[in-house]
Amino acid sequence: MTKRLAEMVLLLGFLGIGMTLGLAFLKAPSVSINAFESPDAQRIFYWHVPAAWAAFIAFGILFLGSALWFFKRSDLGWKMHVAGAEAGLATGLMTVWSGMVWGSAEWGVPWDWTDVRLNTFGLLTFLALFLVLGRQSQPDGVETRDTFSTFGLFGFVLVPITYVATRLWQIRHPGPVIGGGESGSLNSEMALILLLGAISFTVFIIGHVLMSMRITSLEQRLESIQEAMDKV
Amino acid sequence: MSEVLLSLNGVSVRRGSSIVLKDFDLDLKGGQIVLLNGENGAGKSTIIEAAAGIIPLETGEISHHGEVIIDSSGRSKRPQHAFGLALQSDGCIGSQRVEEHILNALDIAGGRIEIDSWLDRYNLAHRRHDLIAHLSGGQRRKVAMLAGILPGFVGSSPRVLLLDEPASGLDESSRTTLVEDLHELRERGNCILLASHHSDFNTCATHIFKQNQLIENELTISENRENRDIKTTSSRNNVVFRTGLALNQRTLSTLASNGIAGFLTLGILLALVDSSAIDSNLIQASGLFLSAAFAAGLVGDNMVKMLHEHRALDWWKSHRQGIPNSYLHALLLGSGLTALTQLGFDESVSWSLVIIGGLLTILTMSVIRGIDLVTSRLARPKAAFTRILTPVLILPFALLVQWITDSNLL
Repeated sequence: MTKRLAEMVLLLGFLGIGMTLGLAFLKAPSVSINAFESPDAQRIFYWHVPAAWAAFIAFGILFLGSALWFFKRSDLGWKMHVAGAEAGLATGLMTVWSGMVWGSAEWGVPWDWTDVRLNTFGLLTFLALFLVLGRQSQPDGVETRDTFSTFGLFGFVLVPITYVATRLWQIRHPGPVIGGGESGSLNSEMALILLLGAISFTVFIIGHVLMSMRITSLEQRLESIQEAMDKV
Repeated sequence: MSEVLLSLNGVSVRRGSSIVLKDFDLDLKGGQIVLLNGENGAGKSTIIEAAAGIIPLETGEISHHGEVIIDSSGRSKRPQHAFGLALQSDGCIGSQRVEEHILNALDIAGGRIEIDSWLDRYNLAHRRHDLIAHLSGGQRRKVAMLAGILPGFVGSSPRVLLLDEPASGLDESSRTTLVEDLHELRERGNCILLASHHSDFNTCATHIFKQNQLIENELTISENRENRDIKTTSSRNNVVFRTGLALNQRTLSTLASNGIAGFLTLGILLALVDSSAIDSNLIQASGLFLSAAFAAGLVGDNMVKMLHEHRALDWWKSHRQGIPNSYLHALLLGSGLTALTQLGFDESVSWSLVIIGGLLTILTMSVIRGIDLVTSRLARPKAAFTRILTPVLILPFALLVQWITDSNLL
């Protein structure tokens, strides 16, 4: 049962995400045609916002793992770093891709190089890509772990900047839809679907992290067995 | 009683996935030569590199002249008394001349001595002005070894000298000369930590460290001879800046790598963008004029690549005086490219934009250089996909362009 926990949580997350998408396309109320250039494209927010939320959780895990490895030499910390980077890359790409689709429909351009939130979030995704590809290119060891943990720690500076970016410099990216004052309020049906999306993506990210940590454990076990066999 | 000059307290070092040195203690006093003698993989080089403060410590601390230079929390500081270091991989930049590397070691030590006789002693006088890359392996080893021992002859205060396999690849007469020099260095009060397989050093080592035990060497031969009178003259400042400048002028590396990227960008812009459509008030114009300077900076600092040769980067890092850079050439290149771009699009040259272009190239280069230096500790730094991180610079570039437009600098 515990061996299959990661797969079960991941499956549950996928089911929730699928249900959110279904509700977003079939059940969610339409937005005012006066407020948006492309009102139908707004439905992608039920995917985009929860994916961004999940990405922040993943980057939080990445930061915590990096700190635990860097300051405490915790093996669990390194597994969290690896899992956080992989989950951050997956959810970061989901967020960036869905945002670009919406940007093309609403703004006429998929990307705006001067918008702070777009760019800081894009950078977080690039950082996750670097951490995933870079780690895979190196043999496991203290030098590899120290170097990538350093980037994990520094990269986390981008998380609060990204989070407050639309509050401080709202250039093109919309402001917060929850907790952003009256201008960002949602009707209850929209909020409910968004909540389902947020919960589903959270469950997905937990499953993803558990799975990734298990794979890292298995990799380490394999390596120690190989080292033992080298000595025979 | 001589002062303890080098102290390793409770030092543990991890390399790869294993601990290669655990709770290691060693104190060296002035006038002592400790020979690290053990099998391959016994940790001799690790001890030398830990003593030089090159590798991070899991536990413990390293002190030179009673002052901690690095500890396990990562704090490190420049030692007040510069030390001599010869790494097993030489630590020399191939594009430097023989005399430059040795004089750099002396300048870092805080004084110069006349080096002709030393080069002559090791049969290198005729190679004084040659590039290190043009030397044979044995000759390069002699240069590295001289850079490691000569600081011990500078001034009257004793120094720490760290020599990793100094006799590797040296002919018999050079090894004999080296043993004589080590005798003299010891008599001058220096402490020497020496890793070697060669039995030649059994006659000059005061102690031998083998199988985790420091044993007094009964074979030490005391030589009763007069030490040479070696005059120390003042050192030259800005060793890091001078080295960067000399290497750039000699190899034209900034022009060849950063310059090519900048000129290619400029060429593409000139080919694709209609100059008559450029409106100097538009945000695109300032972005366009700075693109070549930005592209030049994105290549990074080629000096880091040069320093990867024979672990020269570690040699420079250990002395904590800075690492040679190409900033001056980047400033000139970025300014020139910005001016050329403006002229290429039939615009009058804005000098403030030219300066911004130069600074942009330096800043961009320094960020990429920083990333390259942070990843230099990896087992395969070139395979680490560091360029994935370069988009980090696009937002600052976009904000800079926005600011230039808002400030009406054009």
